[in-house]
Amino acid sequence: MPRVKIDSNKCTGCRSCEAICSLEHFQVVNPLKSRIRIYHEPGQRLYIPIISGPFTGAQCTNKTVKVIGGVEIDGCVLCPVASCPSRHLFVEPGSEIPLKCDMCGEPPDPMCVKSCASGALTLVEVEKYATDFERSY
Amino acid sequence: MNGWMGKIIRINLSEGRHFLESLDPLMARNFIGGRGLASKILFDEIDPAVDPISPENKLIFATGPLTGAGAAASRFMVVTKGYLTGAIACSNSGGNFGPELKFAGYDLIIFEGKAKEPVYLLIEDDHIEIRPASFLWGKVIPETVGLIKQELKESLGKTDWEAREFRVACIGPAGENLSRIAAVVTDDERHAARSGVGAVMGSKNLKAVVVKGSQSINIDKHDQLKNTLFLLWEKLKEAKSTGYNLPTYGTSAGVSFYNECGIMPTHNFKYGVFDHAAKINGEEMKKKIVKGSFGCFSCPIRCGKITEVKEEGKVWKGMGPEYETLALMGASCEVDDLAAIAKANYLCDEFGVDTISAGGTIACAMELSERDYLPEEDIGFKLTFGDGEALVKLVEMICKNEGFGKVLAEGGYRLAEKYGHPEFFMGVKKQEFPGYDPRGVKGMGVAYATSNRGACHLRGLTSLSELVGIPEKVDPLTCEGKALLAINFQNFASVIDSSGMCIFAFRGIWQDGTMEALLNAVTGVGFDSAEMLKAGERIWNLERLFNLKAGLTKKTDTLPKRLLEEPSPRGPAKGHVVELDKMLIEYYELRGWDQDGVPTEEKISELGL
Repeated sequence: MPRVKIDSNKCTGCRSCEAICSLEHFQVVNPLKSRIRIYHEPGQRLYIPIISGPFTGAQCTNKTVKVIGGVEIDGCVLCPVASCPSRHLFVEPGSEIPLKCDMCGEPPDPMCVKSCASGALTLVEVEKYATDFERSY
Repeated sequence: MNGWMGKIIRINLSEGRHFLESLDPLMARNFIGGRGLASKILFDEIDPAVDPISPENKLIFATGPLTGAGAAASRFMVVTKGYLTGAIACSNSGGNFGPELKFAGYDLIIFEGKAKEPVYLLIEDDHIEIRPASFLWGKVIPETVGLIKQELKESLGKTDWEAREFRVACIGPAGENLSRIAAVVTDDERHAARSGVGAVMGSKNLKAVVVKGSQSINIDKHDQLKNTLFLLWEKLKEAKSTGYNLPTYGTSAGVSFYNECGIMPTHNFKYGVFDHAAKINGEEMKKKIVKGSFGCFSCPIRCGKITEVKEEGKVWKGMGPEYETLALMGASCEVDDLAAIAKANYLCDEFGVDTISAGGTIACAMELSERDYLPEEDIGFKLTFGDGEALVKLVEMICKNEGFGKVLAEGGYRLAEKYGHPEFFMGVKKQEFPGYDPRGVKGMGVAYATSNRGACHLRGLTSLSELVGIPEKVDPLTCEGKALLAINFQNFASVIDSSGMCIFAFRGIWQDGTMEALLNAVTGVGFDSAEMLKAGERIWNLERLFNLKAGLTKKTDTLPKRLLEEPSPRGPAKGHVVELDKMLIEYYELRGWDQDGVPTEEKISELGL
């Protein structure tokens, strides 16, 4: 199945993906309505794209800390789940409806991948659902 | 409204109150937004003869209709009467601040008066608050941003992620000290640096503007916008400059190119060729200091270069240096030590100083010192061209407002004047030149001389046509047709700035209808090419009228004697001077101005001013 592969080393934090995702799905530009967000670590100049997965109503207990590029990052931030009680993210402002990536395009040709000039986002074919450990940071 | 958010915040700092106003659609159409709209408001509301750092001057943060709308457009403009130039100032910065201001629901913020104590402005959608900023006063930019984020988390109960999403535009110690070359810096990423806008912000006791929003930018025809964006991305990717040079090397790619063209300002604009350019060019930078790239909001060009310089016991991190910095702090000071230039650049970024003006001023000081017009004891040490250590030291003195740095912080014009040799100041309207020697690219000569905010590379970048060939290649060494070329570039640049687009996207949108298509898709107003360029001309004339009322005259439309009388000694421009008078007469005529450079009554009424 087609999946979006994230290579955060290539991400330049331009947020074209955020703009085009909201434009595609809501016909407006608003990063808070986007199903992809760029996490950034200001002093470190580290940019990590996060794509929203399914909504979950419960918070998990195995909190982790990941080290990327020498910077400790809360595992919750990188979780591929959409929104959960510990992370108010990927929720449409106003309506509070959770947002989930729908692999837009027919056949899947996601807008975020199209808009990514740096090559951080690419469309790949995987055999099974890509889980956390298959993403490369 | 589509594209525009339709709301303006007016902050009266003296009274500590704010008012909301709505944007007049007709005015938005006539002046597009950003630079145009803010200039119009400034022109209508202040006396152009006002002292730039008095409470009567106003400071406007303005976005355009395309800012944040997804089209390589992230710019916001800081418009005020410039403290360096005394002319209208419009400094322009990318990054994420401009789009965030739109997401908060506002097109413009107008600051009036002066706060009694240091304050910062917090905007979160409808919540607008003026907060005390004494704890930020005197702090450098990264520290200021850090402390604001910390306060957001600790006092206002924001989560880590939320605090991260707040964007900050602030001044550093240079702005607080009212340095005439102080900048407004957004998040430690991008700078609106020219014309001393940071000092105006400092004079109002305004340390920072912090903004976050959740509103949407409405798009009139989203399908058309998407299709235009696909085309634009394709075009930007195909062009060598925006598809390869800028993403790979950043603007430093220009060093080798402009040096070969013979327009690299060297030895305070004495020569047009820098022999050691290979030590500070794009390839060298990539090899030695570049660690990664940064892109402003929704920009596929991502020309920002994240760099790092290691020295014993300390690692310097930051962005840049950009081409202009390399040209002014490097070639013009004849410094070929990349690490020294980078360090000087980081210092400027941290303290909020314009690198172009700082470089130009130091080059001027070096020349004065070598000619024995500037006594060694005034500086405190012997200053010669090519001294990288002295460059870093002087920049540090400017940043910290210490010793001779106090004189340098006033800019090159005042420095040269103070020591009795104004002819060694390289700039126009008291503002230092950017990195193009106009003797080798004549159009830039007339563009510099007539630029409304003083010497500037963004107002009429005719070198794009003369050297790069966009939209078509013309001979850089002749004066024929250059006045018209400068006018066309100036008008179009006014449109680009006012819309919120970045001038680097120029390569993909120049004269092929893309700009109109973007504006129309986003705003739905129905601009045609003629109306759009008319708006550009209107903005240019308005700025000119402001300057004339501010006391600038035809006499300030000139270049330093060196460029007018001293033929370029070597390189492709050897033997050339700028024949300005000829071009200027033609320029005034084509602009519809009288021979004193004043727009005629017919022109003013034609433009509806």
